[in-house]
Amino acid sequence: MVREGSSPGGSRPASVLAWFVPAAVTAVVAGVATATVPSQASTPVVWIGVVATAAVAVVTGELARRGRVIAELREQDVTQQEVLARQESESVRLSTELLPELVARLGHGEFPEDVLASMGEQLTRHAQEAGLTPEFTAAHEAVLRSMLDAVVAEEDLRDSAQRAFVNIARRVQAIVHQQAQELREMEDRHGHTPDVFGDLLRLDHGTALIGRLADSIAVLGGARPGRQWSRAVPLFSVLRGAMSRIIDYQRVELHSVSEVAVVGPAVEPLIHALAELLDNATRYSPPQTRVHLTAVEVQSGIAVEIEDGGVSMSEEARKRAERMLEQAQQGIDVNDLGETPRLGLAVVGRLAQVYNFQVSLRTSAYGGVRAVLIVPQDLITTAPATGRAHGIGASSGPLTARTEHTTPAPATAGPAQAAPPAAVRPVSAPVPAPAAPAAPVIPREEDIRDDFMDDLPPVTERSATGLPQRRRKTRATAPVASPAPPAAPAPVTASPAPAPDDAPPVQPGMWLAAFQSGLSGESQTSAPAGASGVAGAARESDESSEKSE
Amino acid sequence: MRPTERGTDVSDADQGWEDESPERLYVITGGRSGVSGKSASLDLVTLIVSKTGPRPGMQPEHATIMRLCHSPLSVAELSAYMRLPISVLTVLLGDLLSDSHVIARAPVPPAQLPDRALIEAVIHGLQKL
Repeated sequence: MVREGSSPGGSRPASVLAWFVPAAVTAVVAGVATATVPSQASTPVVWIGVVATAAVAVVTGELARRGRVIAELREQDVTQQEVLARQESESVRLSTELLPELVARLGHGEFPEDVLASMGEQLTRHAQEAGLTPEFTAAHEAVLRSMLDAVVAEEDLRDSAQRAFVNIARRVQAIVHQQAQELREMEDRHGHTPDVFGDLLRLDHGTALIGRLADSIAVLGGARPGRQWSRAVPLFSVLRGAMSRIIDYQRVELHSVSEVAVVGPAVEPLIHALAELLDNATRYSPPQTRVHLTAVEVQSGIAVEIEDGGVSMSEEARKRAERMLEQAQQGIDVNDLGETPRLGLAVVGRLAQVYNFQVSLRTSAYGGVRAVLIVPQDLITTAPATGRAHGIGASSGPLTARTEHTTPAPATAGPAQAAPPAAVRPVSAPVPAPAAPAAPVIPREEDIRDDFMDDLPPVTERSATGLPQRRRKTRATAPVASPAPPAAPAPVTASPAPAPDDAPPVQPGMWLAAFQSGLSGESQTSAPAGASGVAGAARESDESSEKSE
Repeated sequence: MRPTERGTDVSDADQGWEDESPERLYVITGGRSGVSGKSASLDLVTLIVSKTGPRPGMQPEHATIMRLCHSPLSVAELSAYMRLPISVLTVLLGDLLSDSHVIARAPVPPAQLPDRALIEAVIHGLQKL
């Protein structure tokens, strides 16, 4: 409308001409007709001519006007087509570029407000360049906003769902932990009744499996797998901890393990990741095959290898598994896990991402799958772990005593050591001395102990401090036994006799010899010296025989 | 073989056990509970003596038993030092026995100690002194 005056301006002379020519021609023709017709007919002809001319002029004038309108409309149509095309391309851009960008930026954790602000700015700039109306831009912004709201709402929903997950998992974990502790107490209490104990072990195992499931849920919910370990734990214990959380732990064969410890914060994740890998390995290999578990030191840390003899993974399956690991490292969508979730790899991937484990799956030499998990160097400590694994710190009893000695250091437990006895002897000898007046036979008993313990002084000490009940009793009755003729030694000879059957029965023999010499020979005062001499001799032969072994 | 944790262990002795180990007992015994087998003959006061020191490649618990039993120790004592239930220990000892790494000996039978009358006589004699 605005451009009406300008654009048809060029065509106006032509239309005026077109409007004039037919009217003029009609007028001329009418004039000619008036001139040629007889004079008495001229008047009507003139009238007809005038009317015809007028009619032609009106019709052509109307035609010309319409033609102009049509041209204008065409013009408008073209411009509107252009606008439409621009709007269309803008809409396409919205759907193909802006919305994905929006989702991606939200996915990276940007704040919805920031995203909306920058996207809106981008939108208006584009609209101005393209000459679009503000209404159109506003509409697009509204689309973005509602999209954003939807995404945020969805995200919130998922967050709260995950929180609920984690919350439940935490509760289960707490119960399981409690249960495990109680089971352990029960196991201690009923340790002497194998039937009950066996049942308790089975319960314990089941509880551990539940615990692992709860840990998996917690990990998928983005939380830590479970309890925290305040101190480093030996790798061996970590591996067995992982074994204790799978069903078929009996099929896992634990091979050489390097003597390192895992720092506290990484213990639980490592146990859990390994448990999942072990579970995978045992689950997807025939029940009669073994799964091999080893840990070796490598340049970048410790490589834990899990090898099974199951069905080998096809290249495609392997790729899929590795892709799953990778995906999991970027974050897990709980909705993606599907109806029968294979949580294992997802959990491993998640843990690997958080704790920088490197996980790879390859075809094993046994035909199955070989999973390698590399624990980075900074999660490893070479210092002997303070955490006491079962049995590892089991020398605690003797050790307590050993620290009471003044010269404990060289007294190692090495059986074939020649040097320690010299250091040990002075230590063990003075100890009984103060007790001698009260219990005269103690030295003799020392000798007995010494024969076995020439390089385990603590035990000697222990008998002096009277830690175990049983020994105390022996000592108390011993004074009476000594005057009694061979009554006391005889039963002793009788009882151990069947035991030293095949193997080098060095120690039992020495034990007896020392015992008897102690009984029969020395006076009470000279007992320590004489006894130690005997024991020394015995020890020497003991050592030599041990060396020959 | 694990290095023996000397100094550190002493300070740990009073720590709660559950805080210390992620592994459960059934893994240590391989799922056995000591119902049958050679270990059945063991009782609390059976004395255990190892024939050699621990060997490389042994399970840590086995190694510890070998180390501790360098001198004869009763099963009960072993159980206390290692803080393992008796059943676990009997399973472990059963393994070692069947590989003849250790020898089990019956304890000194208490009945064969000097008879009570004699002891009482001595006590009376001492009291009269």
